[in-house]
Amino acid sequence: MRVVYPLLFFLLLTGFPVCAVEPLAVVTAANSPLETLSLDNLKLIYQRKSQIDPEGNRWVPLNLPVADPLRRSFSLTLFSLLPEEQEDYWNVQYFNGITPPKVMASEEAVLRFVAATTGSIGYVRKQKVDNRVKVLLLLTPNPEK
Amino acid sequence: MSLAADDADSAYRLGSGYAVDETGLRIGGYANAKIDAPRAAPFYFEVTDLSLFITWDNGSRLRFFSELEGGDVLRGGEDEALGLQYAHFEFERFYLDTLIDNNLTIRLGKFLTPIGRWNVIHAAPLVWTTSRPVATENSFSTHASGLMLHGSVMVANRQLEYSVYGDATDALDPHQSREPLNNGVGAHLRYYLDDTLQIGASFANFSLNDDLSANRHHLAGLDFSWSYQKFELSSEIVYRTSDRANVKDIWQGFAQSVMPLFSQHWFAVGRYEFFDQELDKTGQVGVLGLAYRPLPPLVWKLEYRLGTHNELLAPDGLSASFAVLF
Repeated sequence: MRVVYPLLFFLLLTGFPVCAVEPLAVVTAANSPLETLSLDNLKLIYQRKSQIDPEGNRWVPLNLPVADPLRRSFSLTLFSLLPEEQEDYWNVQYFNGITPPKVMASEEAVLRFVAATTGSIGYVRKQKVDNRVKVLLLLTPNPEK
Repeated sequence: MSLAADDADSAYRLGSGYAVDETGLRIGGYANAKIDAPRAAPFYFEVTDLSLFITWDNGSRLRFFSELEGGDVLRGGEDEALGLQYAHFEFERFYLDTLIDNNLTIRLGKFLTPIGRWNVIHAAPLVWTTSRPVATENSFSTHASGLMLHGSVMVANRQLEYSVYGDATDALDPHQSREPLNNGVGAHLRYYLDDTLQIGASFANFSLNDDLSANRHHLAGLDFSWSYQKFELSSEIVYRTSDRANVKDIWQGFAQSVMPLFSQHWFAVGRYEFFDQELDKTGQVGVLGLAYRPLPPLVWKLEYRLGTHNELLAPDGLSASFAVLF
């Protein structure tokens, strides 16, 4: 028994973080005057229905590549749809001259772009947040089944 | 490492156009080819649309969009040789949007008349049938040229989209489309009841350029659209009345359902339409069709249409088409 409990404790420590749901941080530039953002507004921004931020700048929403688990999880959390299930919506928008959010290659790319571009907004895992950006909203993601 | 190198979507992708570096320019379009085999007329093949979109949006408050459309580009059939005899080109849309704030955008130029939903998303790759419901084009002009105020506001925590427009086609669109407005005003409202259901209402007061009597029409319409997973239900209805007592009031409408079949790429489509006509009794048609979408921007369609008093506006027959958004 003396061996079993420490072993169980070790398994809990090492095994659970892999499965645990890590919050998603919605971020903008550290020098932005914005402090918070509602989930409804975030949804409108990522649908490109809200185009201008409260400071009068154009929103520049950023996504990760379609296959990125973080993108898929963000999409499910925000829209209850996977990225590929939103293609019909984006085809209609494209017909009206509106393009989907810009796609960045990695979380680091999101952080770099957000820090350098007024009005941009992106999402990364909470642990990736650093002093280049500020967190507007924390999301508990819906993992893909 | 530069920021541009972090950008993962610079490559061309079907259905989203080609972005010209970081200029804000995007070029794309759609194409549609069909075969029509009406029951009482010879069959024919036609490249009905070849449209080129040019979008410019560099992140400022201004946004430009144009659609140059080649219509009936190539045609041939049972009793006519394949040729370019019907080809014509026009700017189907050409406008500049000025984003005032999150609730208001001002559009100046030529745009699709916001009556119902079909007319503003009518591109062949975005709709489920080769044929277009009569109610979505017969009783009004599909284009307007002038000024439009559009945007959205939140009402009871749900989005309400609006557009209000005034047309001055003669002044702004010298190369006029088929049956253009002479002048007109109108509005459309769309309310999102939830993520799957939206309802809309249209109003318009206009005269048509081709109408020599300068008759003024008043139009009211309702539309709804519901989609869940791959299922869809949609309907539009319009009522048009006129200033002159000798011009018949007309009701037109349709209801359409779409359901997935076999796999996620095959769909069954059913539609019922009715339409009052100036010179005949009320027409009615049913359309039964199949659609195969291997990718969202690409669709093959096959359908059969059958009805009564429909010879002029929606004749019986078989249609097949292929459309791609590029």
